[in-house]
Amino acid sequence: MPVFKLCMKIIRKNWLSISLYIVIFLAIAITISMSTMSEQKKSSSFSQEKAKIALISEEKTPLTEGFRQELAKSSDFVKLPDRTEALQDALFFRNVTYILRIPKGFTEDVLSGGSMQMEKTVVPNSTENAYVDINVNQYWNLARIYAKHEPGASQQQLVKQLKTNLSGSTPVTIRAHERAITSNSFSMYYFNFLAYALSAVLIMGISTVMIVVNKRDLSRRNFCSPLKASSINAQLILANLLFATASWVILVVFCFFLDSKSFATQNMTFFLINSAIFTACVASLSYLIGNLMKNLNAMSAVCNVLTLGPCFISGVFVPQEFLNDTVLKIASFTPTYWYVQANARIAKLTQFGWSDLSSIIYSMAILLVFAVAFAALSLVIGKRRRLTN
Amino acid sequence: MFTHIFIYRFKCLIRDRQLVFWTLLFPILLGTFFYMAFSNLNNEETFKPIDAAVVNDSAYQQDSQLRMVMQSVSKGKDRLFNLKTASNQAEADNWLKQDKIDGYYTSGEEIKLTVKETGISQSIMKSFVDQYRTSSSAVTNIAKKNPKALQNGLLKDVGEQRSYTKEVSGGSAEPNNVLNYFYSLIAMACLYGSFWGMKEVTDIQADITDRAARVNMAPVHKLEAFLAGSCAALIILFVEIMILLAYLQFGLNISFGQRTGYVLLTALIGSVLGISFGAFIGAVIKAGEGLKIACLIVVTNLGSFLAGMMYMNMKYLIATYVPPLAWLNPVNLLTDAFYALYYYDSLHRYALNMGMMVLFIIFFCAGTYLIVRRRKYASI
Repeated sequence: MPVFKLCMKIIRKNWLSISLYIVIFLAIAITISMSTMSEQKKSSSFSQEKAKIALISEEKTPLTEGFRQELAKSSDFVKLPDRTEALQDALFFRNVTYILRIPKGFTEDVLSGGSMQMEKTVVPNSTENAYVDINVNQYWNLARIYAKHEPGASQQQLVKQLKTNLSGSTPVTIRAHERAITSNSFSMYYFNFLAYALSAVLIMGISTVMIVVNKRDLSRRNFCSPLKASSINAQLILANLLFATASWVILVVFCFFLDSKSFATQNMTFFLINSAIFTACVASLSYLIGNLMKNLNAMSAVCNVLTLGPCFISGVFVPQEFLNDTVLKIASFTPTYWYVQANARIAKLTQFGWSDLSSIIYSMAILLVFAVAFAALSLVIGKRRRLTN
Repeated sequence: MFTHIFIYRFKCLIRDRQLVFWTLLFPILLGTFFYMAFSNLNNEETFKPIDAAVVNDSAYQQDSQLRMVMQSVSKGKDRLFNLKTASNQAEADNWLKQDKIDGYYTSGEEIKLTVKETGISQSIMKSFVDQYRTSSSAVTNIAKKNPKALQNGLLKDVGEQRSYTKEVSGGSAEPNNVLNYFYSLIAMACLYGSFWGMKEVTDIQADITDRAARVNMAPVHKLEAFLAGSCAALIILFVEIMILLAYLQFGLNISFGQRTGYVLLTALIGSVLGISFGAFIGAVIKAGEGLKIACLIVVTNLGSFLAGMMYMNMKYLIATYVPPLAWLNPVNLLTDAFYALYYYDSLHRYALNMGMMVLFIIFFCAGTYLIVRRRKYASI
């Protein structure tokens, strides 16, 4: 199979740049998946959300200390140097979402019923702002009431009373619905990122091969040979398929190492099927690009735009629920959108009946249609090109 | 002679369509993608009234106090809840299952909260009812010890919830963290300009390209030829960055703060930095063109990554834990300059960034000059 061998030779020559892509993607995919994942907590009991607060106190009284302890129930304190820029930086990058400054003389003022206020710097109108406000105001309102109606009490007694008053908590029941192991797991994020890695590697690899093989002199030479055109085509397709399968296997194997817990689930089967279909789809897209383009130099430009674009708008980097509807509408014209959508649904599967699977199968069917369309188009274009050449 | 070389270098450079793509079209496309992907992120953070429900059973009917409080926090523009009343628990459960509500309250001896998962909305619901519970137990406590308090307006005092915080803004600008993506994108575009600088240097070294051999034949001082070419490259890059800035500002509504003059100055310094960096790498690395390009791409992309272009918090992490790296990363310096202009009222940090960039420029230019100067070619 000389044509097949030729393709393998071209791939081997470009192996370094292609594998470089794989390494970079893996590094990025792993860091980002891990950081996104750590934000999702999986617990069956209710735990109060903690806001990240910087508390700067210009006075130290028993009440402010008691306040600090009570606030710790609903917040994590972040230690920051008391410099405007450091505080502003932390707020911008959301290292804290609420900066609270207790001014000097605040305790005295509250106890005597004054109207002094603490200064807060927040992300305007944010949810965390509303959350912390409730807890902050609760403490000082209670302090005010106790101070007014039990005037004899010392600050220490007040703190004690507040502490007993604020102890105990509202009982919370979680109506836990059965949750899949893969829901919000590393695997889900990994398979989403796979869309990026696979697109880049396949477009890079397959299109490079096709551009080289389609070079005028080379293809003329090939068609001089006593090989049937159909055989040449079959060998080309075979080589590209082999390359696509190999890339898919390599990338999937890494997932196995990194999240073996999810690998044993039934959801994983569907992840694998979905990504395999996506691989086929991108492979035929790359085949099409390879047939359309003539210039190797423009390759990386096309590769970057075609991989980054759909990934950004289809929810690979930013989950689909955070994208606005217009963007999603546009994205639905790309296969990546359907792939990511199917992934998100697969991750949440707990039952595998027809009604649970139908929407997933629908997305996969659309992916397949894309694959067939790209393949048909590239065969037509390839044929026309040979005739005009 | 200077103008002559300048014009022809300009023509020569601008016809390199690939470079124009990477330095102009690619950042514009990437900016558009960023805009599409991130435009909704800030809305996610904004507080929206929580969809809550309360089970309307006999206990709730009797608890007029609770009913009143519930109604008062579910009214008006600054309301906490979008409150629904469920006729029984089954209905509330059903709503919960269908994600119509985040949680529901059941009154009784003790108010209970039922939710589906842990989250910030649920925590707010819990804090709210905690507050209600502690206030009523405060009334009981005080009244037990001091029965007169009730006549002294205790209930009125409890009902009057004061706000003990007032919002002061840290600076004149909002902490809109999505902006950092766009700032680092501009920085990346400036550093991609290094390709122009590298092209200039390779086209002046006669042992590398034919064109350089031809240029060296001419009776022009090498420095003059190089400066003319670099000026052409700089003008092209600066115009490209201007187009990008204009697109971001007017097309995508990305804010750069009020100080337009400084923003333009930063763009200019960024362009010079990009060109001089490319020239330096082009001069230092003697091996093939592939290695030079790889070097530029790696430095630019790694720099952009560390400046938070792919993962925003990276910039903060680096600045907090490895500050020297932040000061040595040209992409971060540029990003930080734009950030400081937008976010800080004082120009102190901006000036530091600009100073550091100028140092880099001097270093790159001096290095390039020392390597390229006085090189003579006896035969090629």
